[in-house]
Amino acid sequence: MYRHLKITLMLLPALAVLGGLFLGGLFLGLMRSFNYMPVIGLTRPSMDAYLAIFSDREFYRSFLLSIHISFTSTLISCVLAVGAALLLRRLHLGRTVITFLFQLNLTVPHLVGAIGILYLFSQSGVFARLAAEMDLISRPAEFPALVFDPYAIGIILQYVWKEVPFIGVIVLANMQTMGHDYEAVARSLGATRWQGFRYVLLPLIWPGLLSASVIVFAFAFGAYEIPALLGAHYPAALPVLAHRKYTDVDLAARPEAMALAIVIAVLSAVMLAIYIRISRRRNGC
Amino acid sequence: MTRVVLDQLCKTYSGAHGAAVSQLDLTLDSGTMTALLGPSGCGKTTTMKMIAGLLDPTGGDIRFDDRSILRDAPEARGAVMVFQDHLLFPYLTVAGNVGFGLKMRSVAPDEIAHRVGEMLEKVQLPGLGQRMPGALSGGQQRRVALARALIIKPDVLLLDEPLSNLDAHLRMDMRDLIRSLQAETGITTLVVTHDQEDAVVLADRVALMLDGQLRQVGPPRMFFRRPVDEATARFFGGRNFIPGTCRCGVFDCALGPLQLPQGARTGPGRVTFRPEALRLAASGNGRNTVRATVTEITYLGTQTRLRLMSNGTEVEALVPPTDADGLKHGAQTLIHLPVPALWVID
Repeated sequence: MYRHLKITLMLLPALAVLGGLFLGGLFLGLMRSFNYMPVIGLTRPSMDAYLAIFSDREFYRSFLLSIHISFTSTLISCVLAVGAALLLRRLHLGRTVITFLFQLNLTVPHLVGAIGILYLFSQSGVFARLAAEMDLISRPAEFPALVFDPYAIGIILQYVWKEVPFIGVIVLANMQTMGHDYEAVARSLGATRWQGFRYVLLPLIWPGLLSASVIVFAFAFGAYEIPALLGAHYPAALPVLAHRKYTDVDLAARPEAMALAIVIAVLSAVMLAIYIRISRRRNGC
Repeated sequence: MTRVVLDQLCKTYSGAHGAAVSQLDLTLDSGTMTALLGPSGCGKTTTMKMIAGLLDPTGGDIRFDDRSILRDAPEARGAVMVFQDHLLFPYLTVAGNVGFGLKMRSVAPDEIAHRVGEMLEKVQLPGLGQRMPGALSGGQQRRVALARALIIKPDVLLLDEPLSNLDAHLRMDMRDLIRSLQAETGITTLVVTHDQEDAVVLADRVALMLDGQLRQVGPPRMFFRRPVDEATARFFGGRNFIPGTCRCGVFDCALGPLQLPQGARTGPGRVTFRPEALRLAASGNGRNTVRATVTEITYLGTQTRLRLMSNGTEVEALVPPTDADGLKHGAQTLIHLPVPALWVID
């Protein structure tokens, strides 16, 4: 009992800072999203900000764009990561070096990666110039718009580049833990290579793949900097839209910004709950 | 029913010093059960995986009914391997596991359900189809793995250590189950085991592998009575190896002249006899009877182990405990070596 109390007391300062900053910020944001902002005379809580954003078409466009970015980048990352993990686990020679190189961009910040995407894929970037040099297009400006485009191709490219190693490392670790024996059993029982993958390997790595996907999806859904750097002005991803409203010269737009932020936070919390549930099921809890 | 021929089969792993399997010649007659016996690391499971198509041999050939199957994919060989660790798919129910092979063959779901029910009855697990593998005991999991293999009616069944890590009574039940299912289905079966008792009880023929090489193949009794060399004899519990020379059916050694059975080799060699074949004799007039001094007595429960010294040569005997009553360390006794129990090796 004493020991328990001692540990709790020792953890209290750290928990207080964490709780104060996080929960305090969340509480203030929540209050402002309910139109409670005494600084500008809003003292009667209401749902006006939520009603305003839910009746605004721009919100739905931004919401769909954010879903598109998160879903597409997660799906492509998963497919590529599983493919890469399958190849990496078959490697015998140079496996350590190649696996290290595969994981290398995990350490590169998202912003640096985004600048790389701009440098390579924008209409004044390396590939546009190369295409013009090779007479594939008459001038670099004719290069397809892969950055600042309405389909968010540049944003998705950046997330895929960054998240493939993240998911790949998790899936590869899963595969290495289970070895090749389950697939050998399946082959011995008459499964083809594809059936072995579809009916044995995929179900076995599914919990790990799913939890990694939820993390990637939630991150891509809530992240601000990449859509801000590589996205089109309209429609903007939800976090960009929230930031725009927050920095609006009219302080009255701030409750809407907070309402948007709360919506993003709630959706992220739902995804976190899904992730925890999957993890618990995986660990047999 | 399929006849399996392993012809000069070799396997060397990259980076390994020696061959895991070296020039293995073995025939599994159709419809029989053969035990591939040997200590850990002798190449048994490697051999089995090569037959199943899960490992490529570095040399030699594998033929099913005189047809080489080396180019066939594992799923096309008709050989199913049951692994030592069961390896039931943890995300499938027992029924899902047992019906897996049928599903891969696109059998209709109703047909799968029917055959799974029948197979679970056969392995004495009726009504457990909806359980998850984690909710089964080790013995039950092994039965499910066996059912999963048998349901697809393979040409060749490969069982890797099917009785390891089982309690004594479960082990006996499982032995009976494997024997009865093999007899009922007539599937050519290869059992890999390190336990000579399992090999002897289960198999029609035993193939002993040591250090990647086949030492002896034959009916189980052969290994006890007519081992080809000392390593084989020792693997089956042989303890007595006495050097000497055989002339005209008589072996001259430190124990004196010993009458040999017909067919024993002539010339220099070592006579061997099993500890349990040796008898304590009442009188010294019989053939192959020598005087010895007891140097050690160990009570083993169902038997008593005696170490005896005769003319400077130590022999070991396993006798019924009642026969050893009254014997003490240093006591003189007569030991009789029955002629059929003697055999000469290099």
